[in-house]
Amino acid sequence: MSQTTSEPVRLGGEPPRSVAGRRWRRWRLPVLIGALLLTAALLAALIQPQVSREPLAVDNPGSTGVRALAQVLGDQGVVVHEVQTTADAVALAQPGTTLAIVGSLLLTDADLDQLARTGADLVVIDGDSYALDVLTDGQVAETWAPSAQLRSANCDDPDATAAELVSDLVYSVTLTGGSGQLCFTATNDPQTGGYAVVEAGGRTVRVLADSTILTNGSVTEQGNAALGLRMLGHHDHLIWFRPSLLGTGTSEGSATGFANLPPWAGPFAALLGLVVLVAAVWRGRALGRVVSEPLPVTVRAAETTRGRGRLYRRARSRGHAAAALRAAVARRTAVRLGLPASADAPTMIEAVASATGRPTHDVAGLLYGPPPSDDAELLVLTRALDQLESEVHRT
Amino acid sequence: MAVSWRAVVLAALGAIPVLLVPQYAVVLGWALVVLLVVLVDLSLAASPRDVVVRRTVPASVRLTQPTSSSLVVTNTGARRLRGVVRDAWQPSAGATSNRHRVSLPAGESARLVTPLLPTRRGDRAADRVTVRSFGPMGMAARQLSADVPGRLRVLPEFASRRHLPSRLARLREMDGRAAVQVRGQGTEFDSLREYVIGDDVRSIDWRATARRSEVVVRTWRPERDRRVLIVLDTSRTAAARIGELPRVDAAIEAALLLAALASHAGDRVDLIAHDRRVRAQVARAAGPRLLPALADALAPVDPTLVEMDWPATISAIDQRLSQRSLVVLLTALEPAAVSHGLLPVVAPLAHDHTVVLASVADPEVAELATSRGSAAEVYDAAAAERTELERAAVTLRLRRYGVEVVDALPDDLAPRLADTYLALKAAGRL
Repeated sequence: MSQTTSEPVRLGGEPPRSVAGRRWRRWRLPVLIGALLLTAALLAALIQPQVSREPLAVDNPGSTGVRALAQVLGDQGVVVHEVQTTADAVALAQPGTTLAIVGSLLLTDADLDQLARTGADLVVIDGDSYALDVLTDGQVAETWAPSAQLRSANCDDPDATAAELVSDLVYSVTLTGGSGQLCFTATNDPQTGGYAVVEAGGRTVRVLADSTILTNGSVTEQGNAALGLRMLGHHDHLIWFRPSLLGTGTSEGSATGFANLPPWAGPFAALLGLVVLVAAVWRGRALGRVVSEPLPVTVRAAETTRGRGRLYRRARSRGHAAAALRAAVARRTAVRLGLPASADAPTMIEAVASATGRPTHDVAGLLYGPPPSDDAELLVLTRALDQLESEVHRT
Repeated sequence: MAVSWRAVVLAALGAIPVLLVPQYAVVLGWALVVLLVVLVDLSLAASPRDVVVRRTVPASVRLTQPTSSSLVVTNTGARRLRGVVRDAWQPSAGATSNRHRVSLPAGESARLVTPLLPTRRGDRAADRVTVRSFGPMGMAARQLSADVPGRLRVLPEFASRRHLPSRLARLREMDGRAAVQVRGQGTEFDSLREYVIGDDVRSIDWRATARRSEVVVRTWRPERDRRVLIVLDTSRTAAARIGELPRVDAAIEAALLLAALASHAGDRVDLIAHDRRVRAQVARAAGPRLLPALADALAPVDPTLVEMDWPATISAIDQRLSQRSLVVLLTALEPAAVSHGLLPVVAPLAHDHTVVLASVADPEVAELATSRGSAAEVYDAAAAERTELERAAVTLRLRRYGVEVVDALPDDLAPRLADTYLALKAAGRL
């Protein structure tokens, strides 16, 4: 058998002639790795932004953040610790520090108990009625009395008098007992105010009803900044506690699923991810490309016949169907009986009747009768024609 | 680049340090270790660029016959080449075990043999050769593919050759037969021999008998050196599938058997494959060169989805024939295609030559015609009967022009066409 042998093929192709090509080949890998590292570093920088976008976060420079206040406090020598879990807040809160609780809706009874037991001075910002009740021994309650106007201090608290005027406030608090100070009272209702100072449990508890005046967007208005800085800057350490869903509810009943996992679970999952990644590279790289097959058309030759059958059926064209079946039987019996293809109906009927011994009107009805009126009749006719044909072929 | 299962195991082994010191830094460190090992292994792997491949394939093989393609792989680099070489082919080339493990020292060669078992007629092309070269640890590999040209021509199976011995025997029987019944203008005087009981008395040569003491009869041999032109229709009707194969494959089988028989009988066989233009042709190939030439010409013939141009086909036939010949049209007896295409132009051809039309019938239609299960099947049966009637009508009209019609199932077409040829030869009608 004759054989054909191809020219030898060097898989790397012919070596490139130009100096540039050789240089590119030599430096390709280092350049590639460098580009990869650079891309990775850029990606990492993009994924981990240095600033926060959450409201009231000390590293949020947006209009809802409090970075301005935190930076000024820092310049004044106050160390600001931002924490999000009750455990961290309790651990940092010592006597001689300020614990600012920013929003109390997520705090559970257990959280509030722990927070109330710390010796730190408290600043409760945006506190709800229940938290205020627990933290101030029932001296302050939340009310709601908006008044769109500036408010003046109207009290003896040095922080409030230093601030003189603050922006309008949406939320308010009221004193329900004890000997606290209520400042920035509303003009139409002197019993409600934006700021309250009470002594509870041997430490000072300051309540700010509305956090809006501390945000970057409005801290520069009126005496907002003065109130904020003085209120939070009583001690050298400020614990800015912004409760988060995962960091609160430390009691056993409400512990989240993550807390129950063993400590190695996270790293182990990361390793599993690495293994899956390597396995994906292992299985994902094919040994050469997929080869396609130029296939010929696949139309069955009988498709046209089936199509015609379907057409008969859809049109309920029993007349045509019966005519075709009758003509086919007639042609075959004519061949069998030696009749010419041009034989006319009477000759045909006569010949078939004499061959089968059937009466002529019976044969005529079968071969040249009226078309069937429904599918059942068509079936009957077909069977009768088969019978007739088998009788002719038997003779 | 590619990694092996060993790299996966290496990554999984990181479980031990991670369990001992459960920290994310350890995971990151282990990932760097894996990356480093992979990079080191990669940098120590032999370069697949330095591999030189040469392919040797048989020029042609008959369908269903096993064959093989061999690659000579030479490692011209400085390092030992460990890895896998894949010799990719089209799926229908039947290259089943085409991945070869190699371990080649620098400068050495190896011959890798890929067995092939083609499953379709035509030209089967080799795809790329891929070399995956692992490093000494077997962790990571460099991979490169390159085209190494190779083509295997898969010839028609010629399964109908099993009918050839019986037809050749019939041909020999015709030879030397007292040929009174078959005497015609084409039979030729062969020799005189003694009368034996059973010979036709009308073939006794009285003049020769008078000179000798015994009765002598004339014998005849079949006419020789006639021309046979096989015309293969490769238009849309040839593309339709009957059973598993397109119609054209059954037609090719019939053409090959007829050509083998006719060349043994001493006739000259030519062939053209035509739809709107000539797709393949074989002319002036005789003796032992005929069948290989036919198989080679017919191997890459595929039907095209165009309508047959019968006037152009007939003028192509006329160009090739000067004397009276046997013209065999291997086409489909499709009522519409024949009555619009062939019938208007067949009369002059049938006048000048002996024309045989051979068509592949569809067993499915016959099956449909006898289905009686439900009303729906009866409609199908009626459609099948109508098709048959139309075919019969077309056959009748063709016969009126003097065209012989052979309509047979795919497996029967080749022997039936050979029988028709023998009958025509015996009747001296070539």
